[in-house]
Order: sequence, then C-alpha cells, then structure tokens
Amino acid sequence: MRSAYRWLAAIIAVEVAVQAAAIAFAAFGLFKWIEDGGVLNKQVIESDQNAGFSGEAGFMIHGINGQMIIPLLAIILLVVSFFAKVPGGVKWAGYVLLAVVVQVLLGMFAHGAPGLGALHGINALILFTVAIVASRKARAVVTSPAEPQAEAARL
Amino acid sequence: MPPGPDRRRGSGRWRLAAALVAALLVLVPLGWYWQASSLPSTYSVMDMGYLDFGGGPGSASPAGDAHHHVGQVPPSPSQHQRAAGDGPTVSVASLRPAPTRAADVEVDLVARQGPVTLADGRRITGFTLNGTSPGPTIEATEGQLVQVTVRNDNVAEGMTLHWHGLDVPNGEDGVAGVTQDAVLPGHTFTYRFVADVAGTYWYHSHQVSHEQVVGGLFGALLIHPATPARGVLDALAVSHVYDGRSTINGRAGDVAQVAQPGQTVRVRVVNTDNGPSEVWSSAPYRLVAVDARDLHEPGQVTGQSVTVTAGGRADLEVQVPEDGTGVRVVIGGSSSLVVGPLGASAPSPSQPKGQLDLLTYGTPTPVGFKTSRPDRSFDYSIGRRPGFVNGKPGLWWSVNGHLLPNLPMFVVSEGDVVKVTISNHSGDVHPMHLHGHHAVVLSRDGKPSTGSPWWVDSLNVRDGETYVVAFLADNPGIWMDHCHNLKHAAQGLVTHLMYEGVTEPFRVGGKAGNEPE
Repeated sequence: MRSAYRWLAAIIAVEVAVQAAAIAFAAFGLFKWIEDGGVLNKQVIESDQNAGFSGEAGFMIHGINGQMIIPLLAIILLVVSFFAKVPGGVKWAGYVLLAVVVQVLLGMFAHGAPGLGALHGINALILFTVAIVASRKARAVVTSPAEPQAEAARL
Repeated sequence: MPPGPDRRRGSGRWRLAAALVAALLVLVPLGWYWQASSLPSTYSVMDMGYLDFGGGPGSASPAGDAHHHVGQVPPSPSQHQRAAGDGPTVSVASLRPAPTRAADVEVDLVARQGPVTLADGRRITGFTLNGTSPGPTIEATEGQLVQVTVRNDNVAEGMTLHWHGLDVPNGEDGVAGVTQDAVLPGHTFTYRFVADVAGTYWYHSHQVSHEQVVGGLFGALLIHPATPARGVLDALAVSHVYDGRSTINGRAGDVAQVAQPGQTVRVRVVNTDNGPSEVWSSAPYRLVAVDARDLHEPGQVTGQSVTVTAGGRADLEVQVPEDGTGVRVVIGGSSSLVVGPLGASAPSPSQPKGQLDLLTYGTPTPVGFKTSRPDRSFDYSIGRRPGFVNGKPGLWWSVNGHLLPNLPMFVVSEGDVVKVTISNHSGDVHPMHLHGHHAVVLSRDGKPSTGSPWWVDSLNVRDGETYVVAFLADNPGIWMDHCHNLKHAAQGLVTHLMYEGVTEPFRVGGKAGNEPE
C-alpha cells in the first residue's frame, strides 16, 4: 500500500507535467496554423473534427486527463492513504485532491472568466509540488528506519 | 514507554477499521451516484424527470411537484396519466395533416451512409441524401402541402427528418423516440406538412443527430412567399464544417454567386453546425429575416456582424455594386459567398468588432398575442456541474440544477401564453432550440426589446446571459426544447414541452433503437 501511495502520488505529478506539455504543444500548434492561414471559430471547434494542425490532440488530452484521469487518480490516492500508514499520508492525499478539485473548477470557470486561467496555471505548480511532497513522504518511511513512528507502522 | 505487542496489534486493528470506514465514506456515495445515474434501456420522455406546470393549471394538484426519476424509480404510469390530464387524450402519432389533401410538392429522398463527394470535389466519410450533402434543397410556395418520402438505404442506426424551424404538426416533427420510430435500413417514412410561413428553413436527421448532422444528413428548405419580392435574387448559403473545414453549399473558400450589377440579392444563411457563426459583408446590408420570420423595417447595417447561432438562419439583403465588382458575404471567417458578375472580385473586409443587436434593430409592431400576462412562466437555467450521467462521471450540463434524466418537463395547455426565462451560467454558449414554435424575445439581461419583434426558433444564449422569451402554445404535442450544439444535447441538455391531453406511444431505445440526440 505504501509503495502504491508513493507511485500514485508520483504519477499525479507526472500527469501535471503531461498536462502542461499537452496544452503548450496545442497552443503553439494552433498559432502556427493560424499564421499559415487557418481560421478557427466556434463552428470548427464544435464540429469535433480535426482542423489538422500539429498539437491539436493536445487539447483533447488536456481535457480527458484533467477532467477524468487525474481526479480519478486523486480519489484512489486518498483511499489508498487510509491504508498506507504513511505519516501525514491522509493529509497530503487530501491536499492533492483539494488541489485537483480547485484545478478542475478553475479550468471550468476560466472559459467564462479567462483571468482564472492564470490561477489555473499557478495552481498546476501547487498540485505538482503537493504530489511530489506526498510521494516523498512515502519514500521517507521506507528509507528512514530510525523514525520510531515509521518503525511502528512497518510492524 | 513503547507499547506492548498486544496493544500494537489492537491499535492496528482499529486503524484498519478506521481506514475501511474512511474508504467507504469516500466510495459509497460515489458508487451510489454512479449506480443511480444509469438510464433504463427504454423509456418514454414523458416519464423523464419531473413535471413543471409553470404556475398554470396542474401545479395545485398534490402530485404537481412530485419527482419521478427515470433510473431511480420504475417509470410511473401515473405521470403519463397526470400530465395528460383527466380529459380525452390524443396521441402524437395522430397529430398529422389530413391524409385526404393532395400534395402540391412531392419529394423522394434516399438516405445513405458512406463516402461523400462534396461539391468542391473533396471526399469525406459521412451521410448523403440522394447522393449529395447538403441534400437537395426542397422548395415550396407559401400555402402548399409538401410531401417528402424518405427511404433509408443503409444508415445502420436508422434516421429521421426533422423540419428545423417549421412549426409542423407534432406527428411530422421527425424526432426519433418522441414523435416517431427511427426509420431503419430498407424502410421508408412519409412526411406531410403545409408550408405555411415563407422563409429559410432546413431539415436534418433527429436520430443520433450529433453524428448524423455533423456527417451531412441535412439539406435546406425554402418557402417562397405567395407574392414573390420583385427583382430580388435568392442566394442560398448553407454553412457546414465537413471534416474540419468550413464550407458554403459544400464548397470551401470563395463561392461564387452570379448576380447582375445593381441587383438586390437576398443571401439566406443557414448555420448547420454546432457552434454559432459570425456573418459580415463587404458592403452595407439589411438583415431582412431571422429564423424564417421577417424583421419589421430593418435598417442598413455597416461595420457590424450578425451572429447566426447553431441551427439558426439569417437572411441578409445586399446590393451588387454598379462598377462590376462583387459583394463578399463572409460566413464564419474562412469561407465567403462572392455575389456579383461572373469572375467579379470583391474586397475582403476584416471581421467587424461590433455585433448587430437585434434587441434594438428595426421598429416595433404587434406580435399577435399578449406577452405581458403569461399563463405559464418557466425557468430554463443552464449550469454545469460534476456528476454522473448514465454511469459516466464528468462535468455535465444542468437544467435548473438537475442533470439528465432528472430534468423538468414543461407542461402547457393549448392557447396558453408561455414565458420562458433562459439563463446561462455554464461557461459555454448554448444555441437553444424549441421545436414546433417560434418564440419572441422580450428582453436580454433585463433590457427590453425595443426594435422589431425578434422571433426565434434557435436562440444564441451566451455564458452569463439571461433571455426572456414568450410564445403562444398553439401546436399540441410533445416537443423537444434543447441545445442545438448537438453534442451538448447528447450530453443531456434536452428537455421537453408537453401539452395537456397529449400522449405518445414512442420510446427512447426500444426495438427501433431510438436515440434522438
């Protein structure tokens, strides 16, 4: 359970990096396409067909990852944390889930209030950091047998 | 002092128990919501959600605000009963024009699925009617009876034809699972309706429409006035994104429309896509009609674009210059209708910053019914929230706070004046489409309409906006009232309007596999 916790938290951090990469790739691909004469409007966006620029899949990856996969991972991490006996593990899993919820809501409302997009970007870094800390909490248990609490947890 | 082995084991057990309880606290509600959201394989839309009487008759009955949720309780026959009222009932299947009247216009269509060659030669995979997409333009004159027989050659999921914007009798409305069963491969269906109001319309499949319409199963429908406007040339501009590229009448880029210098041309724009489109012109224009309803005394417009919402139509009148050049009508940005002499060039105007506001455009004239004292008032508040729909987690569109299938069923009686307040706080624009009726816009965000009566069948409701519209309940039946971003409809942004005394034999799902969205 402990290594499950550790790896889940690490995967969430990696997923945040994937999100950043996907959306940046998509945005640059879109601007390049526009510079080459492409026209993007609501009709094209809502047609759900490929306009045909490189990085276009990034938008879809960002959406599916962000609305489905990462929230699911965060919920699993919280459930695992109840059993993993990682010191502060439940607390940090809770922080991860909280940051994910905030991130999804910011992503959702930024469509109406683009300023929230800035917070969405900043909160991504917070989520990334919190997920790394959570992962390291689990690793710390494995590598520092000197900690009495950790020792008790292992028995 | 370190704890003894027994105490340690004891605390370990407690810990495990606490962990299990905590895990259940997280998982049980999720599992419950997941399970409760699943839809039955077949159901009547009349049993969906809850009845909303809008303050009219029926509200006072004890069952008036009862919630009968498909998926949570077995479909309740009492809801059918109650909504249909105590009096005599009529089935939607019988709400059709007299079969004895002979047709003035007869059209035969064949629907196919597979490769499509567009007018510009591009090949895509999609749907055709009589081998083309857009399908044949159906034309009639005001007052004529139109009879369309469609045969489904090979559209595997079945198909239907819905007459978008034409307020046909309910049995002709072409909504699979609501007004008819989907027409399965090898079968035919005959639609009959009177072309009663001149204007620009279109028709499209209303079975798995989020795929079939996007894939090309649609065409234009033009009703000419009984006394045609003199010297005005009609130019149809059906806008559709095929495989990621914007087209007009199946052609990408500049599409020529031949017209003489000095001629007045009525450009009939049809938006068949899921998203709204901006339309503007290189010369001044008059917006003479919206959604097949003429505007009253429309003035000349320069430096503004017209928003044509998904499913909506706009008729722009332009005049070809005398100097041999053309007028460019830009639709959506990447494709244009170039109106003028053969080979004429036309300037390329950039997109105007302003949009024409139909609240103040034109001049007022009576709308024909009293909008100030409605018999029923409904709220149609569109939001978005996390949850499960049919077992799928996600951020879903909500109506009055509820997700599919717990949506309101708006109940009216024939003759009612109905007011609907449509508000949108969902973060996305929604082109709202009420079947079988035209509604007149009363206000937007509290600002009253002071221009021409602004009639719509498809209304562009942007995020943050609130529209108040009114309509006369003069067309009995069970009518969809949904978002014409057809993906949104498939995601659950669909409600229905029903008349007291109307029942329906059709089911979503079932043998025909009806899936209207």
